[in-house]
Amino acid sequence: MSHHHPRRRRLKLRSFYIWHRYVGLTAALLVLILAVTGLALNHTERWQLDSRHVTWDWVLDWYGVEAPAQSLSFLAGNQRISQMGRHLYLDRAELPGEYDSLRGAVALREWLVVAADQSLLLLSPDGELIERLTGHDGVPAGLQSVGISPVGQLVVRGGHGIYAPDEEFLDWGHWYGNLELVQWSAPSPLPPALRGDLARHYRTEVLPLERVLLDLHSGRIFGSWGVYLMDAAALFLLFLAGSGSWLWIQQRRKRLTHRRAQARAAAHRSAKPIETP
Amino acid sequence: MPMKLRPVILALLLLVLQDAAARGVYQDPDAFLNEVFAGEPPGPQVLWLRGEIKKTAEEILGHRYGSLRVRYWQQGDRTAWILEEIGKEEPITTGLVVRRGRMERLRVLVYRESRGGEVRYDFFTDQFRDASLGADQALDRTIDNISGATLSVRALTKLARLALYFDGQVTASHVTPSP
Repeated sequence: MSHHHPRRRRLKLRSFYIWHRYVGLTAALLVLILAVTGLALNHTERWQLDSRHVTWDWVLDWYGVEAPAQSLSFLAGNQRISQMGRHLYLDRAELPGEYDSLRGAVALREWLVVAADQSLLLLSPDGELIERLTGHDGVPAGLQSVGISPVGQLVVRGGHGIYAPDEEFLDWGHWYGNLELVQWSAPSPLPPALRGDLARHYRTEVLPLERVLLDLHSGRIFGSWGVYLMDAAALFLLFLAGSGSWLWIQQRRKRLTHRRAQARAAAHRSAKPIETP
Repeated sequence: MPMKLRPVILALLLLVLQDAAARGVYQDPDAFLNEVFAGEPPGPQVLWLRGEIKKTAEEILGHRYGSLRVRYWQQGDRTAWILEEIGKEEPITTGLVVRRGRMERLRVLVYRESRGGEVRYDFFTDQFRDASLGADQALDRTIDNISGATLSVRALTKLARLALYFDGQVTASHVTPSP
């Protein structure tokens, strides 16, 4: 029995080595994903991962990111103001801020006036924001639509009547002109080419890079089974930590035993009496 | 509830309450103007940010100002400004009053960040009283930081510099020596 014991131990050790190797190889790819994404997520703020967005079509398709089917659009002079989701666009350029409802847009002198939510955006022709006016600045409550009076003045339909500002938009008052002569801003269909461009842009503004990294890290990017996959990676890591330590201890014990045996043999040799002729 | 869990739950509750407490509208902009001008605020005026003014505003903020014109209220030698600057992620709406090139009042009107709301307290905003612009549009004094609110402190310092600079543009005022 004692004769077979070292052989069995060697076989056991060898089998453990093989397990350690294959589990290590299996876990390698998952551990790589965990390590790289974990490292990146540790520096979310510095690398602005929460404000940078994914632009790869296949990732967006994987997440099912779609542009809204419905979009509002208004023609103001020869420019077009459109809404896609909560984003506003002047032709193809995105305007700052997010808005729930676009209510109209008109060209006024050299400016564009856009009514969105309960505010008016005054824009230069190249889309630069001149000023955003809200109720504090005199914009009527219950803003519904904007139009141009027969004399080229801005007219705003509020919840309690029709109002008009002065030339500098500093002072507001009731407007009592003929409503039938007002050219109210009305929605018009978005040209297909422009709609395609805006939809593409919209898709690239939706998915933060941080979300994808978090989902990769947790495995959720691969669906509910992905979580179990990453759980398996974690269990593999635990196994590797245990098996690696165990193998190291076995090796160390073997080395020590070998050294002791060598030391004993050396001591035995030196203790032998010298034979004299 | 197990006794051991009570301190943990209490600590979590305090954290949530602290976050909720930081955010808020502390004074409506209209109420601020009414207070500053004793119930009779003058009509608004606008300062256009063009050329040198636009460039200097950009230098002070470290980025372009959000719009091409800024509204202000002036009565005699006092100007009032309601300006916004992002602390960490959200804009801080601030009311500022300048008199003869010196900051008379700085008040946080709307604070939207979850942390750093301490900048609204008088112990902090009092530091700006009588501040004026020195060389390179910098304040003539050091503003003490608040630990945990560094970005909000920076944002308010920038707004104070901006209001003083804008005041100089609309009043061409001369800074009076400190008392």
